[in-house]
Amino acid sequence: MKNKSSFLPQEGEAHPSRCPDNSAFKQQKLPAWKPQLTIATVLSSFFLTGSFCLSVGVSLILSANSIREIQIDYSDKCSDCSKLRENSSNWNKECHCSVNFTLKEDILGDVFMYYGLQNFYQNHRRYVISRSDAQLLGRNVNIQKSYCAPFTTYRNGTPMAPCGAIANSMFNDTIDLFYNLNSSVIQVPLLKTGNSWWTDKNLKFHNPKSHNLSSAFAGTARPPYWQKAVYLLDEEDERNNGYVNDDLIIWMRVSAFATFRNLYRRVRRIRQFADGLPAGNYTFHISYNFPVTKFKGRKQVILSTVVWSGGNNPFLGIAYVFSGTAATLTGFVITAIHLKLRKKKTHFRK
Amino acid sequence: RFELLEVLSFDSVRRRMSVIVKSSTGDIFLFCKGADSSIFPRVKEGKVDQIRSRVERNAVEGLRTLCVAYKKLTAEEYSNAQKLLQNAKLALQDREKKLAEVYEKIERDFILLGATAVEDRLQEKAADTIEALQKAGIKVWVLTGDKMETAAATCYACKLFRRNTQILELTTKKIEEQSLHDVLFDLSKTVLRHNGSLTRDTFSGLSTDMQDYGLIIDGAALSLIMKPRQDGSSGNYRELFLEICRNCSAVLCCRMAPLQKAQIVKLIKLSKEHPITLAIGDGANDVSMILEAHVGIGIIGKEGRQAARNSDYAIPKFKHLKKMLLVHGHFYYVRISELVQYFFYKNVCFIFPQFLYQFFCGFSQQTLYDTAYLTLYNISFTSLPILLYGLMEQHVSADTLKREPSLYRDVAKNALLRWRAFIYWTFLGVFDAVVFFFGAYFLFENTVVTSNGQMFGNWTFGTLVFTVLVFTVTLKLALDTHYWTWINHFMIWGSLVFYIIFSLLWGGIIWPFLNYQRMYYVFMQMLSSGPAWLGIILLITVSLLPDVLKKVLCRQLWPTATERIQTKHQCLSVEQSTIFMLSQTSSSLSF
Repeated sequence: MKNKSSFLPQEGEAHPSRCPDNSAFKQQKLPAWKPQLTIATVLSSFFLTGSFCLSVGVSLILSANSIREIQIDYSDKCSDCSKLRENSSNWNKECHCSVNFTLKEDILGDVFMYYGLQNFYQNHRRYVISRSDAQLLGRNVNIQKSYCAPFTTYRNGTPMAPCGAIANSMFNDTIDLFYNLNSSVIQVPLLKTGNSWWTDKNLKFHNPKSHNLSSAFAGTARPPYWQKAVYLLDEEDERNNGYVNDDLIIWMRVSAFATFRNLYRRVRRIRQFADGLPAGNYTFHISYNFPVTKFKGRKQVILSTVVWSGGNNPFLGIAYVFSGTAATLTGFVITAIHLKLRKKKTHFRK
Repeated sequence: RFELLEVLSFDSVRRRMSVIVKSSTGDIFLFCKGADSSIFPRVKEGKVDQIRSRVERNAVEGLRTLCVAYKKLTAEEYSNAQKLLQNAKLALQDREKKLAEVYEKIERDFILLGATAVEDRLQEKAADTIEALQKAGIKVWVLTGDKMETAAATCYACKLFRRNTQILELTTKKIEEQSLHDVLFDLSKTVLRHNGSLTRDTFSGLSTDMQDYGLIIDGAALSLIMKPRQDGSSGNYRELFLEICRNCSAVLCCRMAPLQKAQIVKLIKLSKEHPITLAIGDGANDVSMILEAHVGIGIIGKEGRQAARNSDYAIPKFKHLKKMLLVHGHFYYVRISELVQYFFYKNVCFIFPQFLYQFFCGFSQQTLYDTAYLTLYNISFTSLPILLYGLMEQHVSADTLKREPSLYRDVAKNALLRWRAFIYWTFLGVFDAVVFFFGAYFLFENTVVTSNGQMFGNWTFGTLVFTVLVFTVTLKLALDTHYWTWINHFMIWGSLVFYIIFSLLWGGIIWPFLNYQRMYYVFMQMLSSGPAWLGIILLITVSLLPDVLKKVLCRQLWPTATERIQTKHQCLSVEQSTIFMLSQTSSSLSF
């Protein structure tokens, strides 16, 4: 604290100066932009924000009007199947169920088919952590060290492939769509690949390397809730088999909330369905495997189109319109207050 | 020519010192100098009345006076004195007391020689500084060991007392005439009659109709007030005294012993409003008061470094106090209060969405954000901008602060860290967190947000909330910054860019050391979705709008003095600002 040289100049020669430098930084005199909240900037920003939000909101609402969505809950309609599935010893018995619906108008464009679940907490902490990403990368890892427990190995030591609770509880209903054309029934062609993220399918999930798939998974067993082994998930398409199966990949990307939907299939635009789904009667044939009654869950199948602003969700458009109006109204309020105060000031001055 | 035999050193209690010398002719003399109040009682001959009137005249002119007296000692007296001094100096117990007794015995029956007067000029710009501090709402008290006349003259010179200040006296002279009780009551009636029960601090210079009061109290009166009495009325005297002081614009305490200076500082510290006290002094007799006050400032001066050594801050001249308090103090307060409030705000914004998510994940403590984001939020993404704010912010320019001391009142009484301000920031944080979380929730829940129909998972949801969070809190700080140097630009925009680059890198590579790959490509996928972009922009805007609105409305309807100055500079209009501040001030200064 002894600032010697600042007041005794003759001592300055003897001792080095301990004054801070006279630089702009140390003297807090850096050149700076000092913005002020003037009435012009405030008003212009409020009105600009308001108009931007309003325009975006209106365009979102208009684009969302063209989205078509059909949601069908089939947990009630397939009640005998669901009762069958309540008893886990019936696991190898098949159960089929049919749900009809009618399209009054054609659905034009790409049609996506989703399965929806309610009250299924994929976001539970112990569930989310129960996977082995290293195993899914195709590496030879010791899954005992992962967080897959208790779904790691069987009592006889055989490891599960894939391990973990997420993979174990994979959604295994099979949904097919049939179109009633005149008197015949046509199966709607569906695409089962190209539904997961490109990076997931090609970079994050790999099958273990071997000359063929069944030998790659030799020495492993299917998880307890599965009906078939992982290399039998899609025997028609080698590139959709094993860990890189689209359905498995989509299921492994756990959802954020208890009510969610996952992309299941896309309508293949060939033959009668080149423009989408024509109007008429349709039937879903569901092979009911996934039990949901024990935890009071529900299952749906959803057909939907998408636009640039996503799927059928009016929230964003409404929120934008709402904020736009709020900002514009606030702008007017501020203008009114400003004018009233200015009148008062000039009146006062006179 | 004179041989120094003994030195009876100075102490501030008896206020004199003596030396015993032997002249070349063999005579032994005792010379004594000291304050007139301690020399005159011990003088038995000399031109006492003449010198006394001269001393008083000097004091009224503001000169510091000393009296000098002497005594001739016989050899026997000297040897006695020497023995006594020796015993006292070598005493193992109560040395101070024994020495005081010996001094008392030796120093008596003087012959008065005369008096000296020294002009102790005020430091340059002392008057200007004191005026500025008073305009800033700081109560200035002068605590000095000088006589009342000297001190009063000095106070008039440094503009502590103005021409129209009515001086109230609480001195020993008055107390001899009436009892202490009556004097206190009279004074309190006088001050309260004019100002009513509401205390006000006037904008000095503009309020000529408001009566200014100045109080003079001396050390003896103070010790009477502070003395604990057998009945429970001692508290009343102190309370009454403080009540009178609160209504006076300036207080002068003269004839103060160093310990009494500390006593007064303590009294003020413990008074009702618990004001923050600052003590500034330059001599060794100021050390106890510097140590007692909340902030002690020592002036490195001709009287040595004692005060500076014991102080929190040392300055070379008194005038530097003005810039120190009004500019630097003001800046640091604004900076640190914003830093504290902002830290709580950004962490509320950070954690509250995690808390809200628990309602949706079965209360299983699943985190909303990835662990890398959790770790780096407070370290990397949001730390540097506020650090720079705390170092560099200047909400008003330094020249304006020096020119308008009244702006200091805007930050008086810890205004920016009161409960009200804290609750506002917390409420803002909760509001922002609710907007982030529920905005993203309604955007995401059970809907498709991509244009290729694919679904997002929970990590994408969390990353969206986190992105909105980081951008909102950084832009909030950007809106609060008034002084944009190139470093501020670099840090604020750089933090945001760093966040984006980090997210891209973190999610762009399958890091081998990680045992989970849950963030792989999540950030990029989120950015490839149009609704996610629109959602981010909307949520940031909605979070920031209420604060901007509050700022604009408060600026228009209830502007503080600082804001008025800022607008005045903009409009370049010359308007008389007749601002009447009816606030109580609570910081007092004494020197």
